[in-house]
Amino acid sequence: MFANQVYELRANLRDQGVVFAYSGYVTEGILSGVGDALKQKLASEDADTKTVRSVFAVFVEQMQNIIRYSVERLPPSGAKGGPDLSYGILTIGTVANNYVVQAGNLILTEDVEIMRNRLSALRDMNRDALRSAYKEQLRSAPNEMSKGAGIGLIEIARRASKPIEYDFMHVDDQHAFFALKATV
Amino acid sequence: MMNIEIPATNRTPSVIFDFAVGHLRITGESYPEDVTTFYNPLFEALKAWLEATEKPGCQFDFELIYFNSSSAKAIMIMMEMLDTAAAKGMNVVVNWFHDPDDETMEELGEEFGEDLNHAKFHLEKRPN
Repeated sequence: MFANQVYELRANLRDQGVVFAYSGYVTEGILSGVGDALKQKLASEDADTKTVRSVFAVFVEQMQNIIRYSVERLPPSGAKGGPDLSYGILTIGTVANNYVVQAGNLILTEDVEIMRNRLSALRDMNRDALRSAYKEQLRSAPNEMSKGAGIGLIEIARRASKPIEYDFMHVDDQHAFFALKATV
Repeated sequence: MMNIEIPATNRTPSVIFDFAVGHLRITGESYPEDVTTFYNPLFEALKAWLEATEKPGCQFDFELIYFNSSSAKAIMIMMEMLDTAAAKGMNVVVNWFHDPDDETMEELGEEFGEDLNHAKFHLEKRPN
């Protein structure tokens, strides 16, 4: 019986073109492992170098966004000790000859507007504007690199071959689900 | 100063800082688990050497296949150190090698190169 359920889950993903899917707590170790498998899979396909590297780059930034910014985490924000786990979902697949990397995680409702504004600005930028934004962000970021210098979203938009897509969903009073899709 | 030789891993580049010769190289991929832990010792060594050395020049080769956005900041910090040394009179040559098929890496090289006011900068195609 349960084979049907598991198969259905798999079939649902495959119907959407998904080749890799990860849902759950993410760590840097997960990024390494899934990343290595993704590299091997991409190497086996006849995509050009630039596309392969861009898919991988978008995957890394999306994973690190979950790791750094998901508010669904263990130990809970503010608590000390234990592992550092961040909950999120990430899929990589192909749709109409393009690679699609999607990721989602919970954020605070109070951060939705600021995220929406940043993403909307990125969506409107052409290649040259994205180049300038990347550079400017890199220059203005503080000299400690722990938070990735806030440049990850710009990197995703730069590597994507179409404007990035984003969406927010109400979850409860304090939380929203943030989803980001990049097509390479 | 002791030379630095760090072999590449899946997520970190090979680093060879041959201070005796004045030839420094970073090769491979850079998306470390903890970018600070990986790069801080390199910053410290590079800064200390640039300040203390009596060598008239040095060459720094970036031969990166891929780096993530956190590593970009690290690259910028090293470029700034090199440019500062060049401003003080050192003959600094920075080479940026990129895969001919990867125009993003070429663009990134151009962008970093634009910020060098004193060091000499060369952008070169080299298949990985």
